[in-house]
Formats: sequence, C-alpha cells, structure tokens
Amino acid sequence: MTRRELLPLAGIAAAAGYASLKLKPAPPKLAAGPAGNSAVAIVRAHSYSTELAQRILEGVRQCGLNVSGRRILLKPNLVEFDPSTVINTNAAVLAAAWEVFHQLGAAQVRIAEGPGHRRDSFGMADDAGYFEAVHGLNQSFIDLNRDDVSLVRNFAGEPKFYFPRTVLDADLIVSLAKMKTHHWAGVTLSMKNLFGIVPGSVYGWPKNKLHYIGIEESILALNRQFPNTFAIVDGIVGMEGNGPIQGTPKPTGVLVMGSDLAAVDATCCRIMGVDPVKVEYLRRASEFGHVAAARVEQRCETIASVHTEYSLLPQFEQLRLTAS
Amino acid sequence: MDSPMAEVYLQRRIAALRDWQNPDGGWGYFPGKKSWLEPTAYAILALHSQSEADPALERASRLIHSWRLDDGSYRAGAEVDDATWATALAVTVAAVRGTADSYTHASVDWLLRVHGMEGNFWLRAASLIHLFHIHADVSHQGWPWRPGNSAWIEPTAHTLIALKKIAPLEKNGELGRRIRDGEEMILTRRCSDGGWNYGAASVYNFDLPSYGDTTGLALLGLLGVNSGDVAGPIQVARRLHQNTRSPLSKAWLAVALRNYGENLPPPDNTAPLNDIALTAIEALGHPEGNFRLLGTGARS
Repeated sequence: MTRRELLPLAGIAAAAGYASLKLKPAPPKLAAGPAGNSAVAIVRAHSYSTELAQRILEGVRQCGLNVSGRRILLKPNLVEFDPSTVINTNAAVLAAAWEVFHQLGAAQVRIAEGPGHRRDSFGMADDAGYFEAVHGLNQSFIDLNRDDVSLVRNFAGEPKFYFPRTVLDADLIVSLAKMKTHHWAGVTLSMKNLFGIVPGSVYGWPKNKLHYIGIEESILALNRQFPNTFAIVDGIVGMEGNGPIQGTPKPTGVLVMGSDLAAVDATCCRIMGVDPVKVEYLRRASEFGHVAAARVEQRCETIASVHTEYSLLPQFEQLRLTAS
Repeated sequence: MDSPMAEVYLQRRIAALRDWQNPDGGWGYFPGKKSWLEPTAYAILALHSQSEADPALERASRLIHSWRLDDGSYRAGAEVDDATWATALAVTVAAVRGTADSYTHASVDWLLRVHGMEGNFWLRAASLIHLFHIHADVSHQGWPWRPGNSAWIEPTAHTLIALKKIAPLEKNGELGRRIRDGEEMILTRRCSDGGWNYGAASVYNFDLPSYGDTTGLALLGLLGVNSGDVAGPIQVARRLHQNTRSPLSKAWLAVALRNYGENLPPPDNTAPLNDIALTAIEALGHPEGNFRLLGTGARS
C-alpha cells in the first residue's frame, strides 16, 4: 500500500476515534515563509475575573490590528461541555472580545460556531455560559452547522466545497481558540479552531470529510482559504494531557494574540513546551505563516516568562522542545 | 389529550411551522433561511394528516422531488447538490405519504450501495498487521453522512427508519441483511453509560458520554429488535429525558420513548424556539403528535 492509499484509512481512524496510526514523523524542516516578521502578543491574565477586555485591547493594539468598519466574526472553540474541566473558550474571554471589537469600531460583530460532535449548538453555548456572558447573544448566535451555505471551488483538492454564508461574508474571522493538547494533532490552537466553520448540514457530525482529507491537510486548507484572520488564544487555563476533551486543566495565565495564526500557534507551542517545528501542520504552515522563532516578534511578555510545561500523551513526547 | 395546555403546545408548533414555510415549499433550518431537505422532511412529518390533502405539503413534496439526482440520491438542500444521508429522509417521507414510486426504489438501491468505509478490506488488513490499533468492532456496516466516509449513529438510524418503513414495498433481499447489520452496528457502538453519542464510545481507552438526541435516534433505528437488546438503553433514555437541558435531546428522546410505549409527562407550554427542525421534532414527540410515523417494527 502506498502512503496515498493509506490516507483514507488514517482518516477513518482519526474520525472514528478508535485507532492510532503508526507512521514515522517527517523530518522537521520549515519553509522560507512570507516576507517580513509577524507580531504576536503574549498578555498576562491570571484569572477570568481579571479585566480581560483591557488585556485583549492591549494585545490587539500591540499587533496593529485595525477593525474599524469591518464585519467581524468571533469564532470560539465549543467542543463539548463538562463542568469539571476546561474544554471550551471561556465565556469571559468571548464577552471581552465582543466588547473590544465593538469598542474598536467594527461595523458588525457576530459570534458563530459549528461544534464537531454535538447537534445542539445553542444548548452547548448556553451550557458554556455564553448567553449569560454576552447580552442578547441567545437571539444572535449563529449555528454554523446549519447556516445557509455557498459553494467554493477547489478546496483541499476537492472540486467543490461548501462554507457558511456568515463565514464567507465576514471581513475578519477572529479565532478565539483554547490552548490545548490534542490526541491526534498534538496541539489544537487557533488554526485548528477553524474546523468549526465547516457546516455539519453538509459534512455531518463529526465533519468526517475533513478526516478523510487529512487533519493536517484540512487545517492548512482552511487557513489558506480564510487568510483574513486574527487569533486570540485563551491560555488563562489551558488543557494538558489527553486533550481536546478529556485532558486536565492547566493554569497558564496568558492570552496569545496575532494576525499570523501560524505564528500565534507556534508561540503557544513554545509556551507549552512543544516544539512547533515538530508539529506537522505548523511545519507545513510555514509556507504561508511564520513558525521559526526568529521570524516572530514577541510583544508584551516573553515566552520564557510565561513558559508552562504541558504534559503530553506518550505518543507526542517526541514533540517536546527539549527532546532531541 | 393530556391537558388543554399541552394541546396549545402542539398547536403553537404546528402554526409556527406553517408560518415558516418558504415560498419554494420547503423549510430552512431557521425562519427565512434557504430550504434544506432535513427540516423540510421533519416539517412534512409533523404536519402530515392521514385524512386530508394539504396543499402546503404537496408543495413541499414537489420541492423534495425536484432535488432528486440521477443515481437515486437526493440533494441536501436548495444550495447543495451533493448526495447525502438526507436521502433516507426523502424515502421516509415517500413511505409515509404513500408517494413511493420507481425513483424511491432507486433511492433504496442507492442507500443499499452506501456504507461506512471503516469496514472495508484495507482497514481490516491494516488492523491485522498492527498498522492500526482498533478499539471498536468494525465488522458491521452502518451508513455515513456522505458516501465514502465512515458510518455514524445518526445517519445509520435514519436509514434504518427509512428502510424499515419502505420494506413492505421492496423485494430486495439485501435490504433485510443491511437492516440487521445496521442494527448490529448501532448496538456495538453503545457508550459505556448505556446510551449513544455520535458513534465513538471511547477514545484512547477513555469512555465518552452518550448524548440525548443520538440516544433517541439510535432507539428509533432499533425499533423492532429483540426487547432485551434495548431494555437498558430505554432506561438510559428515560433518565436522559428527565435530566437533559437540551431541547433537541428532549425532543428526540420523546419521539423515541413514545414509540416504545412510554407514557411521558406532557411538555410544558413553552413557545417554539426559532429553530424549525427542533420545532418539528417537538411537534412529532407530542402525545398527540405524529411520533408513530417514525415508528416501525417491520423487518423484511
């Protein structure tokens, strides 16, 4: 069997959640990437009761983002709800981002998500405290799984693919991700969070098509398809171990922000003690973003000052920054 | 009828569904949105009457007919020309409305050709040589959301409902085998807590919880199996129905439990939410609703 023939099997395995693929990782090597460097802001926030709007405003300004007159889509990470852990983007972070983007003069700010497993997006948003945290959201929250859709040509090798109108109409997608480990991709941060914009009404629950395309390939294709993005990663309390659902809460006390999602994710990895160059999707994202430390301009805090070693599943120990 | 208040609950939902019908005859997932097959099928079932012709449902049926594809499958909706699991809903609607025709037979053939990819030769071979470590039984074939993908609980349940409803009109021996295999697939994907989620009972030896909506749908797909196989899940469904905060879970569980003869308390007289599929399923699950239209114990 060739590697290409194996890909669908890997897709099945990942999608079904009952198999593990034993393949050697590709040797780490970064592409040259685009010209210039990318700014990434690391802002300290020790709890969800801190003045988060001010923290986010500080990070957004440090990254030079201008949202005046633009239609903003805030896309949190809403996966499952378990009150005993920290699976989703915290409601306080969502509410603070909502406030900040309004304050900065956005023409429109919408909150939308399309969870991968659960049909009841509204129930999940309610359970996660979103409707309580953002006034009026229960009337305006958009379930991307069941939004009207439009056709996009040539996505990830597919001649046609469908995306929600709400996403296609946005001028800027803000990936409000959670800092977590992931049992298939190693980590899940702002780039993988875009899985939630794929409509379940066309691709199902889970969005199995993405697994057949390949998890890394899908992450990259989504980020190529939607380049107008900004990331705010909720690392105030992240998740380590068997993420993205069954891991352990990991207080890290940071929000990480930037317009280059690859650079943001690479920075998050370094904070977590993971070598981003060894994470396949990030290594390949260096084609269109900055992953190399030398190409990322850290603003506000340094990585060393907030470094918090995350525990990894045994199969991902090889991703550690300190591993040879 | 349980009480006048409960009757109002159903009437409000029926009225809302009629108000929300699109000019093309279909329903979107939300009022004012484009028509999709899924909410259109649920709305047809919720509004269906055995006794009288309904012009609104005639228009809806014509719209679904217009979404037929050459291979027997159906488009997922007005804007999507891909064949999906929703073909099963079109078959169910045809069986319920008595409009099954030669194209319906082609749709059944299409459903019988489609199966989850996890049970294919290559995956089993890869497992055998330890390229994959498989934690689930992949020996039974269910149905995927889209052809060429893995099988999951919800599309398998909907297809089982459709095949069981159409079975009296079909002379296809494969139909009975796929029904039994699909039922086995659902039974093997049961979560450790006794219900079902989307179709993965565990990940890396960590058990995953069941969901109310998929537990209800799985039970509907299993209607007609040995009662011993579903006694435990029915108990779980009762508990989930009592405890869930999710309107969608409560609605599917009500439809399922009523089909198993459970006498549930009448729903509170809440207004319908602006969610058309949910409103239709809630109407179906009402004591005086059309929940029996999804019920069948038939085997071919």
